[in-house]
Amino acid sequence: MKWSKISVVLILAATIGAAVLRLPRLKQRPLHGDEAVHAFKFGELLEDGFYDYDPYEYHGPALNYLTLVTAWAARAQKFADLSETTLRIVPVFFGVLIVLLLLLMVDGLGRAGSVCAAVLTAVSPAMVYYSRYYIQEVLLVCFTFGVIVSGYRYTKNRNIGWILLAGVFLGLMHATKETCIIAFGSMLLALLLTLLVRGRQNGSVLNTVKAVKPSHLIAGLVAALVVSALFYSSFFSNPIGVLDSFRTYTTYLNRAGQNQLHIHPWHFYLKMLLYFKYGSGPVWSEALIVILAAVGFIIAIRGKGLAGVNFHLLRFIAFYTLLMTVVYSVVPYKTPWCLLGFLHGMILLAAVGAVGIIKAVPTVLPRLIIALLLLAASVHLCFQAYLANYKYYADSRNPYVYAHPTTDVFTITKRVEELAKVHPDGLSMPVQVICPGGDYWPLPWYFRRFDKVWWWSDIDKNIMPAPVIIASASMEPKLTEYFYLPPPGQKNLYIPLFDTYIELRPQVELRGYVTKDLSDSYDQYQSEKESSQSRSEK
Amino acid sequence: MMRKGLNSVVKVSISVLVVMGLLVAVSCKQSEEEETPPEVQKQHSPNTPVVSEKPDVPKVTPPPKEETEKAPEPVNKDANKSGLVPIPLELPKPMFVGTPQDTKVPNLEKLLGKPRPDFYAPAGVKNVAFEKPVSSTDEEPIIGEIEMITDGDKEAADGSYVELGPFKQSITVDLEDEYEIYAVVVWHYHKQAVVYFDVVVQVASDPDFISNVTTLFNNDIDNSVGQGVGKDKHYTETSEGKLIDAKGVKARYVRLYSQGNNSNDLNHYIEVEVFGKLPG
Repeated sequence: MKWSKISVVLILAATIGAAVLRLPRLKQRPLHGDEAVHAFKFGELLEDGFYDYDPYEYHGPALNYLTLVTAWAARAQKFADLSETTLRIVPVFFGVLIVLLLLLMVDGLGRAGSVCAAVLTAVSPAMVYYSRYYIQEVLLVCFTFGVIVSGYRYTKNRNIGWILLAGVFLGLMHATKETCIIAFGSMLLALLLTLLVRGRQNGSVLNTVKAVKPSHLIAGLVAALVVSALFYSSFFSNPIGVLDSFRTYTTYLNRAGQNQLHIHPWHFYLKMLLYFKYGSGPVWSEALIVILAAVGFIIAIRGKGLAGVNFHLLRFIAFYTLLMTVVYSVVPYKTPWCLLGFLHGMILLAAVGAVGIIKAVPTVLPRLIIALLLLAASVHLCFQAYLANYKYYADSRNPYVYAHPTTDVFTITKRVEELAKVHPDGLSMPVQVICPGGDYWPLPWYFRRFDKVWWWSDIDKNIMPAPVIIASASMEPKLTEYFYLPPPGQKNLYIPLFDTYIELRPQVELRGYVTKDLSDSYDQYQSEKESSQSRSEK
Repeated sequence: MMRKGLNSVVKVSISVLVVMGLLVAVSCKQSEEEETPPEVQKQHSPNTPVVSEKPDVPKVTPPPKEETEKAPEPVNKDANKSGLVPIPLELPKPMFVGTPQDTKVPNLEKLLGKPRPDFYAPAGVKNVAFEKPVSSTDEEPIIGEIEMITDGDKEAADGSYVELGPFKQSITVDLEDEYEIYAVVVWHYHKQAVVYFDVVVQVASDPDFISNVTTLFNNDIDNSVGQGVGKDKHYTETSEGKLIDAKGVKARYVRLYSQGNNSNDLNHYIEVEVFGKLPG
């Protein structure tokens, strides 16, 4: 078999490996508050058939529209019909596609380089973790890579199809998340820097630019604008959305500097990637990728030391990754999933670095030893990916777990569903959720089958207390007063809903209350069920 | 040659995409089967007579939308008897909020999970810090006035807290007399689950903290405030405030240090209460 075919087979194998790491147990991790908000927004699109872009929140519409495909496949017609799998399969698909796209980069990163990149993308714990997260980040990374791949292919044969595809990916990037502007700027600057280096080596920059046909460039830009406009205008039903997609930047620029909740130091991402240990948890590190990326960066800038690669492409990726890393580190607003943008660039460079190190060694045995060491380090990355996704999936000791709900949300849901079984109104049983500041997410997802839930930030004394109440611990003094608000003869005795201490997120306690009548009904139901079971066993 | 190779690569990619698409479709279909809503089992205790009146509750009822929902009955139930109808109340949708705050703070105390038990002190003990003078290293707070720290308002609402500048800051309460102090309770800011760093609480007999200085609480694990290495744990702010046992120490001045929090570098105070009584 030829080496090029072996590369293709190995990349396909890595793609399957990526799917195997990402697909199992998509329901296991509680939905993050952000995931639940996106799910709720998607529920509105699913039920109303209309998406109204909001320039103040929720990012672009691409995730919502792409989820329609899986919802239709799952025959979901209402928010209540959706499952975690239906939602999370969307980022999983694009997380796997990032690996598959490397097939088109074999002659750019080199055969060995593209295989290494496929393996590292498949097993990087951060890439795996956030590929199972119903947020926009992985889609943005995938579409960004789509632009790079299509743009690179266009430079190889000047086929208009590739530049149109690059335009489509550009449009999708814009329709995904506002932070695409950072990738756009980094790509543009990286392209200019690459052309400058190329101009210094092979003549003027102008000659290189002239090689691009203006008509092709215009076609690509039109494709980008059309795709973006299609999504933001909700497929022509909300034209103002197109304008809002640009006006949104005033909101996001303000937020980048003002949102105090997510202000972190410049080294937040790098520290997370290099070394992380919290409490009694294990040590986490993707330092292999960062260090190899530094080596790959040097190789790319030097422009020698590797055969079968395109150094112009490598330089572009090097500049792009450096710019992305700097910008994301400088912006004070940081959430861990934002690191994926530059981590993916680092992975591509790391693959080049790994191959460069192996090829720099002249004799076979040391080469083999280094290759085995790198393989062992990759296996360790894979093991960390397993731990992050299947053991510490909602544990603060995992660096990628950020403001995540605890598994107590399952206890809350189970308990409320149990009570609904004995309430006369079933799933229409009134439930009041009272958390200051609306801090009850992701419960709207878990209570999606209940149709009489009062989502409150404070008590409304015009409404009688519901038979089931879930509230922040800080609400308890007000609640005791609220419980006894009804007139004499109509007051219910409330008892605790949970036997144990319940947290929505670490350090965010929730307390539950249920009327004694309803609790007694459930106990009665349980005891009747148990006695009928024991009779049938006899 | 290269183009030919590339064509085959593109063909392979398209084929894999198609296969992946099919896999996704199958996966979703299966998941739907798994996700069938649980059967509503209409079994009730004999004491719930309403059961027979409502025999068929649909398994999944459409979520509330624009139409008027039947709310739990209004408090004034007698209104129904007089022919009045309940006020049509629209079911509130959940309020959208942004990404919540993360609380990855080392050496963090676990929340009690229940109201804090009462703290017992000798008879006659009261809040001796109420409306007593307060001084601060930040004489011009970003938000609020220093006097608000001892004004008795412990709400987390805007207008109830003082925001001091970033990094290390301290406030000092002058009790205006020497008291036997049994407890200090401090509320930094409890609207969110915030953890303040390097909290040090000291009492002394003089305003410069030279004589009879006693440290009551210290979670400055790296001595960055310069008052010694603390062994106390970080804690999450709650509406109950942080209660610190002062063990009846005699002092006139109470000083509290802090150095930012897990959200930002700023320091906040809602209220400080000092429970004590005059000696003898």
